[in-house]
Amino acid sequence: MDVALSTLLSPIILFFALGMVAALLRSQMSVPEAIAKGMAIYLMMAIGLKGGVEMSKNPLTTDVLLVLLAGIILSFLIPLIAFVFLRLSTKLDRVDAAATAAHYGSISIVTFVAATEAVRLSGLDSSGHLVAVAALMETPAIITALFLASRGGSTRTKPVAGSEQGELVREVFLNASIVVLVGALAIGWIAGEEGTASVQPFFVDLFQGVLCLFLLDMGLSAGRGLRQGWRQLSFATVGFGIYMPLISSLIAASFAFVLGMPAGDAALLITLTASASYIAVPAAMRLALPEAKPSIYLTLSLGVTFPFNVTIGIPIYIYLALLITGQG
Amino acid sequence: MEKHLRIELIIERMAHKRACRVLETAGMTGYTVLPAMAGYGNSKRWNRDTDLSASGDMVVIISIGDEEKVRPVMDEIGNLLGAHIGVVTVTEVEVLRPSRF
Repeated sequence: MDVALSTLLSPIILFFALGMVAALLRSQMSVPEAIAKGMAIYLMMAIGLKGGVEMSKNPLTTDVLLVLLAGIILSFLIPLIAFVFLRLSTKLDRVDAAATAAHYGSISIVTFVAATEAVRLSGLDSSGHLVAVAALMETPAIITALFLASRGGSTRTKPVAGSEQGELVREVFLNASIVVLVGALAIGWIAGEEGTASVQPFFVDLFQGVLCLFLLDMGLSAGRGLRQGWRQLSFATVGFGIYMPLISSLIAASFAFVLGMPAGDAALLITLTASASYIAVPAAMRLALPEAKPSIYLTLSLGVTFPFNVTIGIPIYIYLALLITGQG
Repeated sequence: MEKHLRIELIIERMAHKRACRVLETAGMTGYTVLPAMAGYGNSKRWNRDTDLSASGDMVVIISIGDEEKVRPVMDEIGNLLGAHIGVVTVTEVEVLRPSRF
């Protein structure tokens, strides 16, 4: 209960709530687009560097490699489960269901950053390699979704005009979030604590304040997305946006339990698995499955699942991690 | 002044490179891509600042050429818009320096 309260009443979450309420009330408040994108890059650099520095302190053990593998397996697996639930419980067609499922197999790096802060506030420690897990979990879900969509047979008789070989691969593996996150992780790993000491004031001391401002903007985005797109979502689809993270969290918790992960790491793996992408996957889906409706998958992941995870989900996932590690 | 055709294509940002490739392959001598701020379509309002992935953003592509070049482009753009969100219009315009097109 204390964990849930301290998370819910942290400035980060309160600023997110402020942004969301402001957008739902049609406030004109906005954060300039270039600043929002700059902050997203800053946060990914900061979290990547921090993870890399933490990883440089410890050797790469089999346990760490198993956690990385678990992340990849979860990212491949969750879209299959999400797809089945979507097809059974909603009226989404195969392509829309596959595209939506991809979002739930991939991860939200902002949810991960918020969870990292919540874990720290709860007095738990987390390892740097979870950042690498986050990067590895970005793309496998897209491959599963393309497989699911292709099983129904393509409606296209010839390739989309102007499409180029390799454009999807570039979008999937070289999108900004993966390049910045993996790049910063590698730089932190190579430079270590001593090497990164000179940039610590920028990436550590300012982190909390920038995160507050970024989450204010995310609240505005989520609120606007929900206000503009809610008509596209059925009751069953909105329900999926809330119960699917919980199902994913239980599956991830079982992986964390089997791997014997410490509570902080388990909470982050559970959060990553329960989160839904709204940056990397929507962009990839527009190239790979342009027939899928972004008004469904983006509204659902950004307008429903993201607010749920940031406010209610993260405390649940931390509690779940405490339970499976016998601390609950 | 000489009459030419002006293509105005409003298309989702993620597909704009495909549209540009179509124009270049067809031999259009130039085009300009402009960002779109906000709009309404398919019963939904959209704003470019709602979506951090920018995958929902729209752009406007303007290109001018003679009819011989523009007609085949329209077939390819038709194919593109069969998959991607967008609208295209073609209007007759008068150009001051026809050799530029």
